[in-house]
Amino acid sequence: MNARRDRYPIILASLAVAALLAILPLPNWLQVAWPYWMALTLIYWCLETQGRITLGLGFTVGIFLDLLTGSLLGLHALSLVIVIYLVNRFRARLRFFPPWQQALSVFAILMNDRIILLWVISLRGDPLPSLDFWLPPLVGTLVWPWLFVMLDRFRGGMRLRATR
Amino acid sequence: MVSGSFGTGARFSGQAAQTARLMLYGLIAIVLMAMDHRGQYVPRVRNAVENAVEPVYHLVEWPIRAAGNLAEQFRSRQDLRHENEDLRRQLLAQQADLQRLDTLREENRRLRALFEGADSLAFEYRFAELLRVELDPFSHLVLIDRGSDDGVTVGQAVIDGAGVMGQVEDVHLHFASVRLISDPNHALPVQINRTGLRTVAFGLGETDRLVLPNVPREADVRIGDLVVTSGLGDRFPGGYPVAKVTTIDREPGQTFARVEAAPLAALDRGREVLLIHSNVREPAAPERADDDPQTTIAPGEETQPSEPDEARAARPEDSPETSQ
Repeated sequence: MNARRDRYPIILASLAVAALLAILPLPNWLQVAWPYWMALTLIYWCLETQGRITLGLGFTVGIFLDLLTGSLLGLHALSLVIVIYLVNRFRARLRFFPPWQQALSVFAILMNDRIILLWVISLRGDPLPSLDFWLPPLVGTLVWPWLFVMLDRFRGGMRLRATR
Repeated sequence: MVSGSFGTGARFSGQAAQTARLMLYGLIAIVLMAMDHRGQYVPRVRNAVENAVEPVYHLVEWPIRAAGNLAEQFRSRQDLRHENEDLRRQLLAQQADLQRLDTLREENRRLRALFEGADSLAFEYRFAELLRVELDPFSHLVLIDRGSDDGVTVGQAVIDGAGVMGQVEDVHLHFASVRLISDPNHALPVQINRTGLRTVAFGLGETDRLVLPNVPREADVRIGDLVVTSGLGDRFPGGYPVAKVTTIDREPGQTFARVEAAPLAALDRGREVLLIHSNVREPAAPERADDDPQTTIAPGEETQPSEPDEARAARPEDSPETSQ
């Protein structure tokens, strides 16, 4: 029981790192391909923990991210809530997919998120973005297996230290 | 989805609740976005809350700044000497330019008096540095490290050494956000320096292009023409360089030529910027109200002491670099 409750600090720490990654200053070529770390991290925790990542948490994190990045208030909130909903909905299946199939599902989720963003952009009347708009989901999918392994390690290490 | 889930028992009722929650949160998010977009209530609340986010910016900023300082420490004497020499040469050249500027300013003052013209403004510059955080790539916003504590106000013009960068949009206590001129929602009143043709420059969402959509097709515009602010609209003071004309597309049958220009300011690279305080008004020429404009250039009035000189200089003590 205790080990389960201990997980919240780990989750929050990884989310904080993801938030910092979102505003990290980068050279231009890297910036256009920079994956959506917050979504990837939330997907991981959604898959690995049962009922920890609620829609409310996603909404709160999203609002915080909006304030941090100065984007339209509610934009990240909407996108993260939808990502979490989708993962929770198909969680049972996604968990037992082989890695490549799981990566493909992550790709689909990230693309869906991009389409929602596109919808908001067009509603605002901004000009449509160029083709490299679709690069982050691609890079995100490539990064996914490594992120998965890394967060697993991180979590495992923390758990060992907690039980000692 | 919701209708299907009611009949099939407990396993799906959780699903239905989930869906209902998704709709609720989605709705809240969309309402928030709409309110933020239309500028109702939300921006004010947001302004207050964003002050709380400020430490995070410094947290991201700190290691990069530290690395920069470290690199500065290890630069060789040779490099520094070269740079010093270059700067000295630059200073000399610019001082030569300034000498001419003084006589031009006098001349300008005389001519303005002759026209009984509007009094010109004297400007005060204040140094600021961009915070090195990357905001949402779709909004052309940057953060500067000066806020209301330093007297920054909404609408203030921001320039760098080469040209106009943008205007202050949001002021917080210790930082402010600046909307770049490349933002698709930004319009800047400009004129072609060579001909005085007035038009408006719009952002395109790219840091290396602006568009001037309402230049008449037959207008005298050439590639390489300098585009400067016209001072209309009262936001930006006139006469600051903005961009150089890069392409002109005169399609037959169209009323307007499509003119594009490349911004002179380093919108995507610059680090040091200047904020323009335009509230310092130069005293008007004394005989402005006179009936006969000719009398205003009486020889005694020509050589007024040039009081704006000390106000014009950027204040070096504001800059963190020079204080070291």
